[in-house]
Formats: sequence, C-alpha cells, structure tokens
Amino acid sequence: MGKTFNPKITAFLCKWCSYTGADLAGTSRLQYPTAIIPIKVMCSSRVDPVFLIRAFLKGADGVLIGGCHPGDCHYESGNYHTRRRFAILQSIFDSLNLEKDRLRLSWISASEGPKFARVCNEFTDKIQKMGPNPTRKNMFI
Amino acid sequence: MKKKVGIYICQCGPNIADNVDIDKIIESVSAFNDADDLEIVAKPYGLLCSGEGKDYLKQEIEENGLTHLVIGACSPRDHNNTFIGVCKETSLNPYLYKLINIREHCAWIIHDKDKATEKAIQYIRGGLRRVLYQSELFENKLDTNPDVLVIGGGIAGIEAALSLADADRQVFLIEKTDRLGGKAATFKTVLPKQQDAVEAIQLKIQTVQDHPHIQVMLNTRLDRIIGFLGNFEAEVRSIDDAEKMTELKIGAMVVASGFSLYDASTHPDFIFSGDDEVYTALQIEQMIAEKNQVTTRSGKAPKSVAMIHCVGREEVGYCSQICCNAMIKLAARFKTQSPDTTVKVFFRDLCLPHQDDQAFYNEIKAQGVEFVRVNRIATEGSQIKFTTMDENEGSELFDMVVLAPAMIPADGTPDLATKLGISLHETGFFQEAHQAINPVATATDGIFIVGTAHGPRGIQATLLQAQAAASKIRVQLIPGEQIVPEVRVSETLEAFCMGCKTCLEVCHYGAIVFDEDKGISVVKEAVCRGCGNCVGSCPSGAIQLKHFTNPQLYQEMIEAVQ
Ligand SMILES: Cc1cc2nc3c(=O)[nH]c(=O)nc-3n(C[C@H](O)[C@H](O)[C@H](O)COP(=O)(O)OP(=O)(O)OC[C@H]3O[C@@H](n4cnc5c(N)ncnc54)[C@H](O)[C@@H]3O)c2cc1C
Ligand code: SF4
Ligand code: SF4
Ligand code: SF4
Ligand code: FES
Repeated sequence: MGKTFNPKITAFLCKWCSYTGADLAGTSRLQYPTAIIPIKVMCSSRVDPVFLIRAFLKGADGVLIGGCHPGDCHYESGNYHTRRRFAILQSIFDSLNLEKDRLRLSWISASEGPKFARVCNEFTDKIQKMGPNPTRKNMFI
Repeated sequence: MKKKVGIYICQCGPNIADNVDIDKIIESVSAFNDADDLEIVAKPYGLLCSGEGKDYLKQEIEENGLTHLVIGACSPRDHNNTFIGVCKETSLNPYLYKLINIREHCAWIIHDKDKATEKAIQYIRGGLRRVLYQSELFENKLDTNPDVLVIGGGIAGIEAALSLADADRQVFLIEKTDRLGGKAATFKTVLPKQQDAVEAIQLKIQTVQDHPHIQVMLNTRLDRIIGFLGNFEAEVRSIDDAEKMTELKIGAMVVASGFSLYDASTHPDFIFSGDDEVYTALQIEQMIAEKNQVTTRSGKAPKSVAMIHCVGREEVGYCSQICCNAMIKLAARFKTQSPDTTVKVFFRDLCLPHQDDQAFYNEIKAQGVEFVRVNRIATEGSQIKFTTMDENEGSELFDMVVLAPAMIPADGTPDLATKLGISLHETGFFQEAHQAINPVATATDGIFIVGTAHGPRGIQATLLQAQAAASKIRVQLIPGEQIVPEVRVSETLEAFCMGCKTCLEVCHYGAIVFDEDKGISVVKEAVCRGCGNCVGSCPSGAIQLKHFTNPQLYQEMIEAVQ
C-alpha cells in the first residue's frame, strides 16, 4: 500500500450529552482528526446492533457510540440498555469473526469536550494501526 | 416527483469561511448525482442567521420551489430552531430540512484547511442523502385541560394549590387524613429563629378551604391515573367509604405526600417503651401545640432534658437537613419555659445551613444550653450513655429525652409511585427528572414533586418548590391553548411485530401498550418521548422512530464510510 490509510469512522452521538460534548470540543478549538463523521441520534439507545453490523459490512473501519454517563441519560435508562446491547454486539462480533476492537462505546457528558477530542484521537489512532476493515472485501452480500 | 434540494453554506463571518473552502464544497455537492430526478441549488451566504439571511433563505425556498433544504452552518443548538422557523414561514415542511454543523465539527477542529474541507464535504453529502429520505411530519395540536390534582394536603400541597388557584386554575386537593396542614400545622414556632407562623399557616389552610377554585377532598386517596400532560384522568376514592369513587379530569399533578419519621424504637441503641420519658421532636411540637407547655407523663415540667440528634442517620444514609435546627428551636423553647432547666444537646455533626442559624445557635448557647459532641450514644429509657469524641465515657439520667429521628419517605410512597408510574430515588423519596437541572419535574411530563415528598427539607424550601411547580404548570398548560406533542415518535409496523413485548419492557415512559386482539405492540404517540430505545431493542425491526428511521440514518452513514 503506497497510499496512507484514511480510516472511515462513524460516531453515533446522543443529542443531549455526547453531541453537545463534541460541539464543545469544537468551540474550545480542540484539535482532533477528521476521520470521524458524527451522526446525531436522540439517545444512544436508538442505535440498534443490526444496524452497526451493516455499517461494518458496508466498509466502516470503526464505529463509535457516544452516550451520557450512566445515570445521566436524558431518557433515564437508555444508556443502560445501550451498554447491554453493546456487550451483546461485541460477542456477536467475536462469533462472526469480526474485529470487535473496531467498536467503541464512550460516555461523554455535555461538558466533556476534552474527553470527546481525546476519544477521537485515541480511536482514530487505534483504527489507523489496525488498518482497513477487512470485512469489506471478504464479504459478498 | 422531481426533487429540488437547496444547499446553503454559511460563512459565519470568518468562522467557517477561513477554515473550510466553501467554493469547493459548493462544487462537490453540485456534482452530486446519486439520485434520480434531482436538481441541486448550492450557494454560499454570509450570515444565514441574520435577519437578511433568514429573508434570503425564505426567498430562495419559494423562488426556486425547493422540495428539500440542507444548511451547512453551526451547531443545531445555536440555530436549528432559527431555520425551522424559516421553513415554517414558507411552504417547505420543516422536517424536509437538515442542518449540518460544519463549524464545530470541521472548521474548528483542525488547522489543515484541506482536511476540514474534505470532512465538510462528506458530512454535507451525508446530510443531502439523508434529507432525500426524510418525510414531511405534521405537528398536531391537542386541546389541554389546565386543571390540576394535588396529592397531599401538607404545607407543600397547600402552597401548590394556592399558587395555582390564585391563577384561576381549578385544583383538586386530596388528603389522606381528616385535616389539612400536615406536620407544619402543629408547629407553634418555625425556623429560622423562632418565628411565630401559626397564624400564617392557619390562614393558608383557611384560604384553601374557602377558595372558589379549590376542591378539598379529605380522607381520600388516589386509585389510578391514565393519560399524559394536558390530558390525565384520575380516579380517587374515599378511604372511609370504598364505594365512593370520583373521576377527575386534569392536565397535571403535583405530588406533595410529605415525609414520615424513622422509627427510633427499631434502633438497637435506643431502648424505650411508651411509658418512658422518651419523645420524638415531633411529639414535643404536638405537645406544645396542644397545651402550650412541655411536661413529663406525670404532668411535671422536666428539670433536665437530653436532646439527641441524628437518630437513624447512619441507617438511612443521609442528613435530614432540618432536624438540628428543629432541635435547637426546641432547646430554646425549654429554656423559655423555665430558664433553669438543664438542656444538653448530644450531637455528632451540626448542620446549620441557613444564614441566621449560626447566630441563633450562639444565642441559645449563651442562655446555657450545653452542646456535647459525641461519637456514640445509647439510651435505656431516660438513662443515657455516651462516648465523646475524645473517647471519654459518660452516663447521665434525665427527666426527659428528645430524639430527632431522620426524615424518611411518607408511608405508602412506593405504592403511590407505582400508581403514578414515576420512580423513586435510592433513599425511597420521589425522584426528580434531573437533580441539578430539573428538580421539581419528574420523568413523566405533567407530574411534579414538591416538598418533603422529594427529600428532607424545611418549610421555606418546601414552599419554593411548590411555587416552582405551580409556575411550571401555569406555563405548560395555558387555558385555551393547545400543546404540540413531539412528532418524532416511534410507531410499530404491524406486519413485522411478533408480539414479544421486549419494547414494552425497555420503554421508560410506558408509551407502548400491547394490543391483545392483534397480538402486537402499539405506541401511544402522545406519551412517547422519541428516544428510540424501543427501536434498538426490537428483535424484528418492527419499530421505527420517525425522523430517525433506519433508511435515514443509513443514508447519512453510507456517505461517511464510503
Ligand atoms: C420535629 C420537626 C420540626 C420541624 N421544624 C421545622 C421548622 O421549625 N421550620 C421549618 O421550616 N421546617 C421544620 N420542619 C420540617 C417541616 O415539617 C417540613 O418541611 C414540612 O412539614 C413539609 O411539608 P410537606 O407538605 O412536604 O409534608 P407533610 O407535612 O408531611 O404533609 C404531607 C401531607 O400529605 C398527606 N399524604 C401523605 N401521603 C398521601 C397520599 N398518598 N395521599 C393523600 N395524602 C397524603 C399527609 O397526610 C400530610 O397531610 C420540622 C420537621 C420536624 C420533624
Ligand atoms: S447561522 Fe450559524 S454559522 Fe451562520 S452566521 Fe449564524 S451562527 Fe454563524
Ligand atoms: S419488540 Fe418488536 S417484535 Fe417485540 S413486541 Fe415490540 S415491536 Fe413487536
Ligand atoms: S421511542 Fe422511547 S419513549 Fe417512545 S415508545 Fe420507544 S422507548 Fe418509549
Ligand atoms: S440521551 Fe444520552 S444516552 Fe440517552
């Protein structure tokens, strides 16, 4: 590969905490890589596992889910469900032989701009090291 | 039908223009041809949120006959509502518009302009794909009922009822006992200091009883409620006569069921029976209210009084905030009754939060009330054994012992919580929507909690909450005005639902009901908050959240991962 690898990462961010935290990272002019494209959802619990598998089959190199800290979900218990589904999704990834390290769940509050930037830096870095998502060329569906 | 999408990129002065190449964005999105029958109008603009900017957008929408609108600008928190407002003044349904935040997410996160531009292009193209899959949604207006049910006739419920009734709301006030006023009605004097509040409290009670807009229902409890903000139906029942049920139609509810006291007799360190000279502070208050003096069971004024703070505090796991002051108030009262009474206050921590408390404490100390800081304390009848902070042991017999048991949730709180469908804090008091940000509301729109039903506090804080809840209700439910419920709600797709009821379990708001006849789940739109948790839970993809549907999110995502 002569060309540098530019990972493609999608971040599902809940409107109330992590999306706002991401905004704050911008307002504070914190620097982080452009690989991550945010998609706003009302609550992290909206993200359904099947949808994420599709994201990988379509070629996402990484998927980040951002939600409010446990206990802070705007809809009370949404993120507890997210956490449970995320654990299940990781085991599904294992059994499908997909790399579960390409998934990340982070709790980022509205005031945690620095945390959002840090997570983006770390995650991009990690995916960069892992290289492109192999599923994309292996799967024919 | 031919689609005509308008894409407007805001320069935001130098904020966006300096850090992303807007011309390049325009060029790239104009070339988008991944959809049939699509025409794209893409233009830059200086400040879209300005008055001129908004007029410009309106004109563009109408003159170009736009069917969809994408704006590349700032955070939705800043101007999403601005642009929704613009759409509403045109023929474009606001749900056919999408704002993409290229300022906070592109321009401001990287110094490399090429990279920022590249991300902005990808991000906006995702928005463009998404908007083509969005559907019109129509906001429905619903009639509302401005009347209110208040549960609990203590000072909290009384204040809430008065604040609403004085604003001409019809209030139904249910109280489970045969009198109004709760605990506060028994106090001769109230804190801060020793103010006489008897008349003020009695006046409030009288005003409630005589108020043309308040219907007081004594010996009454709540049976059940159904409905949602603006449209609740409650069934209340007489405690004496189970046959007597009344149906009330209301728009909101205030829960003011108050507190109980920790039962000190269950504590292993406090051994006493009904014959001993051991009393709770509340019993002393009642005694003062009844006969204006404090006497022992044999009718004599006590010559020595021990006052023990924080009974059960360790057990319940929190400070009750008001008891230290309430005890100091009673200590002063003993001194007024007879200045040569020995009054000893046994405490471990003193909580004196109000600005006048410290001075009052100093004052009664000067009057000879003794404060003994103890590490441990136990009683057997009115014989007291204690260990001070420096591990000295002491034992003393008193004529009277006054305990300050912790404030705990009122009897029946869990049952009431179940009926109302609202949650309890781990301490057992009612849980607010958000501890810091939304302290009198609950997770259910239209149900508020005030006073000690929400946790230990004094009268002043109780009244403030009652007034706050009343004003929230006055703002949320204006007589004659309709409310616009959330339209981005979930719906089940009959053909796909297999009736597993998973969604019923995950919905925090009880917005999903099961249709036994059809064997499928159905979302009550008016109750749904649109979080999408049920969508994430459904094993057969039978639920869709409007405006956040799978195809819509897929379109947004596909651009990001390509
Ligand atoms: C000893 C003592 C002294 C105090 N002294 C002071 C003081 O000097 N100054 C001060 O500011 N505060 C003082 N307080 C605190 C004060 O008592 C409370 O802040 C106040 O009484 C709270 O009022 P409330 O309406 O929330 O609760 P409550 O007074 O408990 O009233 C609740 C009412 O709701 C009714 N109820 C309960 N459940 C139901 C139900 N399911 N359905 C219908 N009705 C129901 C009850 O019967 C009661 O009438 C003192 C507290 C104690 C224990
Ligand atoms: S709409 Fe947003 S991006 Fe545009 S000028 Fe106003 S604040 Fe800046
Ligand atoms: S989770 Fe899905 S399949 Fe199960 S009852 Fe709800 S809508 Fe039907
Ligand atoms: S979207 Fe949320 S509130 Fe609405 S039905 Fe689903 S889980 Fe309940
Ligand atoms: S709203 Fe942020 S996780 Fe639920």
